Amino acid sequence: MTCELTLRDVRSVARIVNLAHRFNCRTTHIAAAVGDAATTARFAFDGPPVALTRLRAQIDRILEYDV
Amino acid sequence: MNGAQAVVAALEREGVETIFGYPGGAIMPLYDALYEHPVRHILTRHEAAAAFAASGYARTSGRVGVCCATSGPGATNLVTGLLDAMMDSVPVVAITGQVRSELMGTDGFQEADVCAITQAVTKRNVLVTSADAIGPAIAEAFALARSGRPGPVLVDIPNDVLKAAVTDLASPAATPLARKAGPRVSVDAVRDAVARIRSARRPVAIIGGGVRAGAVDLYRLFTALLGLPHTATINALGAAAPGDPSYLGMLGMHGLKAANKAVQRADLLIALGMRFDDRVTGKPDRFARDASVIHADIDATEFGKIVSADVTLHGDLGATLQALVDELARGHVPRFDDWAAEARSLGGPLPSDHVEDSVLSATDVLDRFFAALPPEAIVTTDVGQHQMWAAQRARPTHPRRFATSAGLGAMGFGFPAAIGAQFAHPGTPVFTVVGDGGFQMCLPELATLRRYDVPVKIVLIDNHNLGMVRQWQELFFSQRYSATNLADNPDFVAIARAYGIDAYRLESPADADHLIGRFIAASGPALLHCACHPTENVWPMIPAGMSVDELMEARR
Repeated sequence: MTCELTLRDVRSVARIVNLAHRFNCRTTHIAAAVGDAATTARFAFDGPPVALTRLRAQIDRILEYDV
Repeated sequence: MNGAQAVVAALEREGVETIFGYPGGAIMPLYDALYEHPVRHILTRHEAAAAFAASGYARTSGRVGVCCATSGPGATNLVTGLLDAMMDSVPVVAITGQVRSELMGTDGFQEADVCAITQAVTKRNVLVTSADAIGPAIAEAFALARSGRPGPVLVDIPNDVLKAAVTDLASPAATPLARKAGPRVSVDAVRDAVARIRSARRPVAIIGGGVRAGAVDLYRLFTALLGLPHTATINALGAAAPGDPSYLGMLGMHGLKAANKAVQRADLLIALGMRFDDRVTGKPDRFARDASVIHADIDATEFGKIVSADVTLHGDLGATLQALVDELARGHVPRFDDWAAEARSLGGPLPSDHVEDSVLSATDVLDRFFAALPPEAIVTTDVGQHQMWAAQRARPTHPRRFATSAGLGAMGFGFPAAIGAQFAHPGTPVFTVVGDGGFQMCLPELATLRRYDVPVKIVLIDNHNLGMVRQWQELFFSQRYSATNLADNPDFVAIARAYGIDAYRLESPADADHLIGRFIAASGPALLHCACHPTENVWPMIPAGMSVDELMEARR
């Protein structure tokens, strides 16, 4: 699973990596560019489909609160 | 104005009248600003109690609960309460002091990276690095705590920032959150949902904690319009209109038989503001196997998380219910009275263990207690057997009149939450039902009751056991009672009296009605100590990970 995210709070990058680890997913790629107002981050994860679905839902929740 | 005064000014702008907390070194400037200030600070005897009290305040009032603590241990003691608020979608703002900016990263005295620690238990947290940023940070914290699916937000402020002068006194601008509109439920999805309701033969509605977002009247209208059998999660007890014959009671592991069986027989589930917790579904692939599912929630991440939905309604629950009612009114409005009567017949009286006549039964005490409560009473519970017995028996007249740590199941919640509830509702009778285990996690809050003369009344179900764990050990761990026996409990009545609290000792069933009556009528804070049978279990029970097919009504 890959996702490209725009995050207001750069700390969310670490939060997402922690969540992936918690759900038994492997973070295979991270690239982030930190700007003045937002961070653009690209992730790639491997893992069981159910875990990836759960991870995606949690990422969506982080994005919802990252306003 | 310094940073600490800016905090208090920001709280005033948010309409905060009461905050719960505990002082310490790093947050002393804030306590100085609170000195003789109209914002009332309630000193709890532990920071965890401050967080739970803020939660009780918020759960029962709908307003944002506020707690504060110092850096390091003060802040970390809030963590359980913040997670509890996160799990049950309760708007709480926590303000923590932090060590001076120059000390951060030096392992300074009482230093903790509280933002890192609380990242997983808050919607968001922020470390404020300048006094000018305090006002906007607190405004944003309140906006985020209230918005969408409510929850906790933490604002961490270093000691030097609290002491620094504010140079920009302008009111904080409206935050991006305050301007952000919530999701609007799709018209097509509403039409699809109504079409499924019209063609259903055995629909059941499940209401969850989302109903607290101002949707109670519309929920009652919706279910009454259809004569719809309906059930509630523990966070939504009180959503049904009092006396509603189509209401089947609480759903889930210790829910009522009619509710669980009706859901299992349903051909359509209308899940409203609930999240299919494992304590509700048991084994998900055996949960309501014949039902299609309409799932309404403000949090889109709940869709498909546990149970797949055929129709999703993403939006505010009140607006969603209004849209469903309006769409129904445009055509045929089906009635499900016959199915509701059939669903009711799937239940029966609540099963309970036989307890010899001379010994106090917890279920009997709670039956009598809830029968005697005035309808406006607010009840909080702690966590364990007494919580489930109370949830089965309580008949709150509104979801904000019953508060419990549902998702997290945090022992030590009930008593401080009742204190918070009482401050939110000064003229309302507030009770807490606690067990002997959880009560001992927050005993010092008796001092809070006494200091502020808070008339909270405590029903202590003392069975000399960590009863729920003991029950599981009996049923699933070959009766190996490891670390659950509390036979050496202290004299709780003497403890209460030592704090200056009236206390009643209930030991005989023959005295129950009389003592319960005196206790409820007491004018100030009081404790009713109920010396109950040690091995009474909670029934019915669907064992964890099982389905309604394995429902137990007694020991096997």
